[in-house]
Amino acid sequence: MSAVRTAVPTPVQAEAEWAIETRALSKRYGGKLALDALDLQIARGGIHAIVGANGAGKSTLFRVLLGFLPPTSGTAAILGCDSQRLKPSDRRRIGFVNEEHTLPGWMRVAALIAMQRRLYPLWSQAALDSVLGQFHVLPDQHVSELSRGERAGLNLALALAQRPDILVLDEPTLGLDVVAKRAFLEALMYSNEAAASTVIYCSHQMEEIERVADNLIILERGQLRNASAPDTFCARVSHWIAEFPFQPPPPANVPGLLQMQRLDGLNHYVVLDQSAEFAEFLRSAGARTVNCMAVSLDRAVNSFLAKNHAAPAAA
Amino acid sequence: MQRTQALMIQIATGDSRSINKQITDAVRMKIATGELREGTQLPSVRGLAQQLTINPNTVAKAYAELTTEGWLESRAGVGLYVAPTRQRLSESERERRLDDAVQRFVHDVVALDYPASVLQQRVQLALRALGVRKSA
Repeated sequence: MSAVRTAVPTPVQAEAEWAIETRALSKRYGGKLALDALDLQIARGGIHAIVGANGAGKSTLFRVLLGFLPPTSGTAAILGCDSQRLKPSDRRRIGFVNEEHTLPGWMRVAALIAMQRRLYPLWSQAALDSVLGQFHVLPDQHVSELSRGERAGLNLALALAQRPDILVLDEPTLGLDVVAKRAFLEALMYSNEAAASTVIYCSHQMEEIERVADNLIILERGQLRNASAPDTFCARVSHWIAEFPFQPPPPANVPGLLQMQRLDGLNHYVVLDQSAEFAEFLRSAGARTVNCMAVSLDRAVNSFLAKNHAAPAAA
Repeated sequence: MQRTQALMIQIATGDSRSINKQITDAVRMKIATGELREGTQLPSVRGLAQQLTINPNTVAKAYAELTTEGWLESRAGVGLYVAPTRQRLSESERERRLDDAVQRFVHDVVALDYPASVLQQRVQLALRALGVRKSA
């Protein structure tokens, strides 16, 4: 039971309450707001998945949090420390795996591991071996000779071995084969190293999120749109099918509408935060038949993001 | 000494039922059909989580729900066991579920065009095979 995560760990001395906290955080690239007055609080412990469409601000958020980029306005703190003033002793407590897995290509694997081991006093060789053992990586290989998946595995193994208080993973399983992906998910959920830290996990793969996430954070155009357990979010979205013998209601009048389709003469509505009253709405708008069903997490997130997703101008 | 019985369940991602719900449904079904007998020990939270490759918190949540509903009981420091049988649902909830089940059944069989007597007989046979008692 020791590795089962606790949602509310016991605070140590003056430890910050939040693993991550942003206040009115904005980041502007030219004319585009990548982060738009974002207020985000992520509790300590647990696995938090961040999803969002391409360009929703996920990678920018990570760069600001880790102090690689200054915010345009607002504040960002990680483990209670201002992201703009992180000291080496703070950085030691932060593990980061970026999506490109940028590691020094000219270094040999053994030398890279030795260097990391010297940098991190809490180093766990067992954690490194258990993850890296899943990959056929030889100590005298140069990092540049590794495949994308092998580099991902090495990067993850290094991050876990440093036993960070917070582990930030940007698309960690992209490019991994099915066996390596499973090994990685197991390391994330069942290893003692990962269980002791807060995991922030950015992914587009709902299948993975459904399995691993305690908390689902949805970003859209630089704003926070959801922070709850995945099944709680899923329960907010429902799929209704109605038959309108005459004119259906104009989409602008449909409450909570996320997505609408007309298939075989039936109107399909995916809606947010609607209860049984939605059936009343459809009936009073002239529906002859009304049916309702639950949706999968994948469909719920998809519909949610589709509402404001970029699309070519209608022909 | 009762050993942990394997819990032969599958979960599917992409289902409209959450993983938590898939676990609670499957365990209830196994207890109701007698596949999991009273006093049987269930897998540990961590064990079942690893078996299904899911977050241990999800299993813990499902187990907690089943315990609250009276399907499982926890023995301090030892583990979770299938609780002795008793009525686990409120009267109105029982009624509602029975209505739902009958509705579903009727919807399915009406198109098959069998006389009512044949349908009744088949249901009776199926219930007898399961050992459902004849009267209250």
